Amino acid sequence: MVGVVALAIVGAACSPVEPAGDQPSGQTGSSGQDVFGDPADQTAVKNGGTLTVALSADPDKLDPTLSRSLYSRYVFHTMCEKLYDLGPDAKIVPQLATALPTIAPDGLSLTIPLREGVKFADGTTLDSAAVKLSINRGLTLPASGRKSELGPISSIETPDAKTVVIKLSKPFAPLTAALADRAGMVLSPAAVNKLGANFSTAPVCAGPFKFASRVAQNSIKVVKDPLYYDAAKVHLDAIEYRIITDSSIRSANLRSGDAQVADSLSTQDAPTLQKDSSLSVLQSQSLGYQGLTINIGNSDGIGNPTKQLDTPIAKDPRVRQALDASIDREALVKSIFNGLNTVACSPVSPKSEFTSDAAQKCPAHDPAKAKDLLKQAGVVTPYKVSMITSNNPDSLRLAQALQAMVKEGGFELVIKPVEYASLLDQQDRGDFELLQLGWSGRVDPDANIFNFVGSEGSQNVAGYNSPEVDKLLTDARQSKDQAQRVQLYGQVVTKLQQDDPLIYLYRQRNLTGVTKKVLGVQTYPDGVIRTAFAGYAK
Amino acid sequence: MRRYLLGRLWQSLVTLLLATIVVFLGVRALPGDPALALAGEDRDPESLRAIREQYGLDDSILVQFWQFVSHAARGDLGRSIRTGESVTSMLSSALPVTIELSALAIFVAALLGVGAGVVAAVRRGRPAEWAANALALLGLSVPNFWLGLMAILYLSVALGLFPASGFVPFFDNPIDNLHHLVLPALILGTGLAAVIMRQTRSSMLDALSADYIRTAEAKGLPQRAVIGRHALRNSLIVVVTIVGLQLGALISGAVVTERIFALPGFGKLTVDAVFQRDYPVIQAVVLVTATAYIVINLLVDLLYSVIDPRIRVRGEA
Repeated sequence: MVGVVALAIVGAACSPVEPAGDQPSGQTGSSGQDVFGDPADQTAVKNGGTLTVALSADPDKLDPTLSRSLYSRYVFHTMCEKLYDLGPDAKIVPQLATALPTIAPDGLSLTIPLREGVKFADGTTLDSAAVKLSINRGLTLPASGRKSELGPISSIETPDAKTVVIKLSKPFAPLTAALADRAGMVLSPAAVNKLGANFSTAPVCAGPFKFASRVAQNSIKVVKDPLYYDAAKVHLDAIEYRIITDSSIRSANLRSGDAQVADSLSTQDAPTLQKDSSLSVLQSQSLGYQGLTINIGNSDGIGNPTKQLDTPIAKDPRVRQALDASIDREALVKSIFNGLNTVACSPVSPKSEFTSDAAQKCPAHDPAKAKDLLKQAGVVTPYKVSMITSNNPDSLRLAQALQAMVKEGGFELVIKPVEYASLLDQQDRGDFELLQLGWSGRVDPDANIFNFVGSEGSQNVAGYNSPEVDKLLTDARQSKDQAQRVQLYGQVVTKLQQDDPLIYLYRQRNLTGVTKKVLGVQTYPDGVIRTAFAGYAK
Repeated sequence: MRRYLLGRLWQSLVTLLLATIVVFLGVRALPGDPALALAGEDRDPESLRAIREQYGLDDSILVQFWQFVSHAARGDLGRSIRTGESVTSMLSSALPVTIELSALAIFVAALLGVGAGVVAAVRRGRPAEWAANALALLGLSVPNFWLGLMAILYLSVALGLFPASGFVPFFDNPIDNLHHLVLPALILGTGLAAVIMRQTRSSMLDALSADYIRTAEAKGLPQRAVIGRHALRNSLIVVVTIVGLQLGALISGAVVTERIFALPGFGKLTVDAVFQRDYPVIQAVVLVTATAYIVINLLVDLLYSVIDPRIRVRGEA
């Protein structure tokens, strides 16, 4: 076994890795329509049974405050309800709250009315004190993943058991969207007090299901919670999430009936599964993107002052524009992803309510122009540039296609595949010239832009620095006017396309396979598969 | 004897310490940072700092090593950086799965390998030997992951004979448990079966030409008794040794098999932990395995020295 470990350690530098955090899973549909799945017809489903969901990666900590992976959100959805939720149209709707927050005219306080009669899985009552404790935990727990999402909260007040008032030091428009994700999940104070930072080992929230067991790296089981306020709508006895990382084996499990739901189907497998009459393939467009980040000023790693790198691609926007112009996004999406993913030229999804013509404008594919721009910039062609990319098969196919494509525009792309954990490390240290990675996407556009291209952004791995973009983003962040925010994000995209610190390529489509024996499984644009109210057909 | 015992114990401790140090440093020499691997997409500098602090990742290597060794000595293997679960409980749920899978694979391999080996030796030069040889060659050269995929596609998806994934603990439902493990054990056992077949065949051929077999035949014993009671029994000694030597390979094979069939075993736990840079889990896995190897070796050596005093004398020299 020591040999096995040694082999694995050696192999880790050159073999596929299981994504540790939110695997980029932004998704869109080019020709195909979104198929979210329908809610179950109450008369057509029977009660009972266990649903097995084949998951493509192991969720991390089952603690809404500490969790950082998309996959834990699948599990949370069945056992931790949130103040707000998303509808299939990506609009925010109340869940544990009874209405959208009332925002004070100065934008500095949000009043949230709570649903009454809600019990946690341990039998204690969900009230404003529990909400306060949960949000405070997100703000104060040292390793909290929620701190930045929650923004400038100065205090939380609980005038009565069913009202929560959040006070802010500055207006922060993305807060409601954050409360529709893990930051808005309410934890049982009794369990938090008992388990503290080990809450993830036996999480207790309020939801249709409650935590039953977890087998490391392998499976997580939740069982129906009889105390849930809407328990009559819950049909299944239990849901087992089984981690199967290989996409073809996930598909095989779906076809053999060992799993009834499988997430993240490969665009290679999906067409075959769509032809299988016993299965249906749900498709939802994500709010994220996949793109190329160019290292402009990240010389000493993230968190350190940026310093302009001394290469033509870092110094001269024309070289980056040339790279952009030499990419044929349509062809990429068609040839590599069977047309299941869609073209993206900006961080704002066309499905978002913040989209506009300016936000969706695409630079044309024009290799001649690319060559011309390179000539203007005075670089010798072919211009050699190296790109680090994740070493999974899909990323490698994409990289090879890009390599062939940009050649026509005068670039010689050198592909350097690295394992996911190393890729993250290299991008944060600024040890790259070009980098291919994506972002799974959030409802509010701020969360898809600010951190990546804002000069203070925590994930601005490009080392991009533009006072103009910073101002536009800050104004959009503090604006309460939707129309104004739409316009500001449009301007941000226009400016980003001139500077090209990040070349947006495509949006993935969340492809979920479901057996027709099960009704009521749905996927929404936030990428989370909803299984809580599903049931076996009668 | 006591001096010998103390000497061997001391050697074992040094070996254990060395193995721990090598893996401890090896894991840390990997590119990538556990805090980043954990944070994935959602990472901001403040929470990365907090994660590093919480797991002592910003301490010097010496401090980290001391923390690990001193806690391990008290039986505390820490918590997984990724899931926050106790490493001890992760190990104790994974070990029985791999032990059962390996035991079944050995059983399958012995059954197939010895059977085919005997047939090949007895039916030398006939089609049966050719068939057995071809199968052995196939078993040795076809990789486990491919066999596993084919088995899932044909036996699970197309015919629905076996489950494609999942695991049921033996004491929950023994039949279901075996049903889930048949395919993985078969796949895992093929390589070993081929080795056993070839070994059995050649030992049997040696045995069949030995004098005592001629004697047995001359006594008028029936063919079955000659092959079974005399030739095979003597050949099996070598086969058992081979199985012992192949144990390591078997466990490496279990890594692949466990991943394909989503079995919650030790191999899958280890490899996933390496990819996720989950230091406490990797360290614990190595510590436990190294300890097991060392204890078994120690016991075997002690047993030898009891049986054969010459070894004890050499040990003291």
